[in-house]
Amino acid sequence: MNAEAPGAQNAVEASGITKSFGGALALDGVDLTLAWGEVHALLGENGAGKTTLSNIIAGIYRADAGRVVVDGVEHQFRNPAQAIAAGIGMVHQHFRLVAPMSVAENLHLGSPQTPRLVTEKILVARARALMDELGLHVDPTAKIWQLSVGEQQRVEILRVLSRGARVLILDEPTAVLTAQEAHDLFGVMRQLVAAGRTVVFISHKLNEVLEVSDRITVLRGGRHVVTRDTAGATARGLARLMTGEERELDVTHRRIDGSAVLTLAGVSARNSRGLIALSQCDLVVRGGEIVGVAGVSGNGQTELAEVITGLRPLEGGTITVDGTDLTNASARQIAAAGVGHIPEDRIGVGMVSSAPVKDNAVLRHYRTDELSAGKQLKRTAVVRFAERLVAAARVQTRSVHTPAGQMSGGNQQRLVAHREALVGRRLLIAAHPTRGLDVLATQEVQSALIARRDDGAGVLLISDDLDEVLLMSDRIAVMYEGRIMGMFDRGDADRARIGLLMGGHAEEAFAP
Amino acid sequence: MNTIRFERRATSDARRSAAFRVLGAVAGILVAGLVLLITSRNPFTLLGDAFDANFGSQRGLEETAIYATPILLNGLAVALSLRMKIWNIGADGQFLMGAWAATGVGIHWAGPDPLVLLVMALVGAAAGAAWILIPALARAYWGVNEIITTLLLNFVALQLVLWATLGFWRDTKSAVVQSAPPVSANLPVFPGLDFLHIGFIAPLVLTAVLWWVFRSSTWGFEIDTIGGNPRAAAFAGINVPVRIVLVMLCTGAIAGLSGMIHLSGYAFRLNGGISTNYGLSGFIVAALAGGSFIGLLVGGLFIASMLHAGITLQAKGLSTYIILAIYGAILLGIAIGEVAARYRMVRERYDPATEAVR
Repeated sequence: MNAEAPGAQNAVEASGITKSFGGALALDGVDLTLAWGEVHALLGENGAGKTTLSNIIAGIYRADAGRVVVDGVEHQFRNPAQAIAAGIGMVHQHFRLVAPMSVAENLHLGSPQTPRLVTEKILVARARALMDELGLHVDPTAKIWQLSVGEQQRVEILRVLSRGARVLILDEPTAVLTAQEAHDLFGVMRQLVAAGRTVVFISHKLNEVLEVSDRITVLRGGRHVVTRDTAGATARGLARLMTGEERELDVTHRRIDGSAVLTLAGVSARNSRGLIALSQCDLVVRGGEIVGVAGVSGNGQTELAEVITGLRPLEGGTITVDGTDLTNASARQIAAAGVGHIPEDRIGVGMVSSAPVKDNAVLRHYRTDELSAGKQLKRTAVVRFAERLVAAARVQTRSVHTPAGQMSGGNQQRLVAHREALVGRRLLIAAHPTRGLDVLATQEVQSALIARRDDGAGVLLISDDLDEVLLMSDRIAVMYEGRIMGMFDRGDADRARIGLLMGGHAEEAFAP
Repeated sequence: MNTIRFERRATSDARRSAAFRVLGAVAGILVAGLVLLITSRNPFTLLGDAFDANFGSQRGLEETAIYATPILLNGLAVALSLRMKIWNIGADGQFLMGAWAATGVGIHWAGPDPLVLLVMALVGAAAGAAWILIPALARAYWGVNEIITTLLLNFVALQLVLWATLGFWRDTKSAVVQSAPPVSANLPVFPGLDFLHIGFIAPLVLTAVLWWVFRSSTWGFEIDTIGGNPRAAAFAGINVPVRIVLVMLCTGAIAGLSGMIHLSGYAFRLNGGISTNYGLSGFIVAALAGGSFIGLLVGGLFIASMLHAGITLQAKGLSTYIILAIYGAILLGIAIGEVAARYRMVRERYDPATEAVR
């Protein structure tokens, strides 16, 4: 099933693509040309139109205007089946695999090429043949649920290719992958284009785009900004094209000798499976400083945020906020003491998606005198509070009465972050606050944290992105297997030493 | 060439949703009428009879309201738990236990009527709450599925009632078999009416109270938050397990009170058949109302009038099976209407030229 030798024509020429959703213009006359045998990166902020454009080319949406020419023939796809028949296939962020079925079964499910009468043996043999041909391997007898995310993605790619796709669109494929898996995926992408196929790589991660692509098209606000060769492009230049403005976050670090807002002494706790997740942690956050917690995910950072905010009981030790002992206090008491929490899973823990925006806005404040008298909610005050928060957080929503789940992910995140900043008068715990955000939104959140710090609150920033920790923090704590391995002032922090500590190498890190 | 596609609506609209349910009920009645026509009966006469049975006389109206009382109360019990996404399938059992406990008071104590009734009501509500206590604790603290526990306790409650009415509380003085003696105090009939007892006020007042609680109280806000996302509720500082237990106890108490009111206002004596599936009817109403208390009130009265009309039609020679089939058609119509309100039809035109590409 080798890709046919490409002619002189381009793989795809889309021109003047326009699409609006309910009055909002998502794409405004966008052109995109894909050559055979290239990795073409589609770069842009959230909402720039990358996914919409891809969905139109892959036959999922229909454009309001514009033409799509595939291999020299104009098409008007009405559904994805027509696009795949023309050789265009898309792998979505959320996989469409049947978890209890085997890899071989998933590859054949719904495919017109599947023989009418099959046995497990035939399916596995056919799957093996396909994998050999494409040079992409996954155990064909394994069930989907047994596979890692990276392997599942590989099955999705195999499935799309087995339908005859010669243009493969990958929608933010690295968002769900570990660094190693992302690296493997890039190898697969290079291999596919070497065989003459075309890969469209949608991303907002500049480093990845620079690493793997041949050409780059930048979209901004539904418009085409530029298409250029990757050679010679810089991250900074691309960021400017994506955001339309050059902004560099300027953080001045400082040493604070003020009084402690948060003091953890000998804190230990178990995780949800009953295993020790924190052991003997000592940590101080003072008013007016950002303390960054560096570490590989899963080394107790989540539990650390949970014990401080009253969501997880302590096994031992004490927690003090502004001199008041809040060891094992309730989440409500801790919030009342002025501790806000931007949780790691903002949408799963910090929000009620089915409830209107206004209910989510007051989730932490509905018991204040402003919003309720005894048991009675002041309904107009609730709406006013919500409208204020929505305006301050620049959340885009039709009204505060629409369900929060109908807003885009970025807006949901902004709502939660600003609400928690209001709660955190004294201390703000921010767990991976910029994860999944694009360049502009990341800077917004980072500026908000710095503003909080400059107002005199303490900020505890938990992040597995060492660059972010180094950029933002006045002091840095390193966590490994539930322990705080070291504490540095920003000035003395050394990337190599922190890296060693994150990997648990204490002796080497402190060797002279 | 045209094709029709169903597209999920982005927004839900309470008025559209209500209108579709009414349309669904009408469609159900039409289907039922068609079936009656095929079986060579005159659906118009029967519809007239059914209408007449309910609205043609004061007696019909009063009887419908009597049926509506336990259906509405049980429906409110289920609807309250549904706001928390908890399914109390055991309203029937709690109803029986409420009636059982109230009987215990009513047959052993002949004090002043108001006092006896008050104690019966308190004991009945407490018994209903007690009957859901174990499912509530199991659900709140160990995550045990309440659908199964509450459902199974229905059968236990029925056996307890049968044991009492055939055994230690069996009425040996009268000709009524398999029944406890009549209770000493009965709920009075509304002044000026012939049959309808004042217990009918209870579901109306309770509907108003719950409507207010969920519209403008922090208590309702917290329950809705738990129903929407229990993890977010815990994040906001709400003690979720305690709330689950309290709300489930409230639903049990409402169903228990329902049993006491039905006993002292209509049945007067306990027997195994005191609940003719009032729990199930209440459950259906609550599920179809989708968490709306006003919708529940309308739906409960409607189902009660259907049941009442059914009894009249049965007297006119229509078989029970046909009546049940008609109920089914109407309820199914409403359920379909509820789902249909969330979608809209999109008609698409396209020219065959593009189709040829396929």
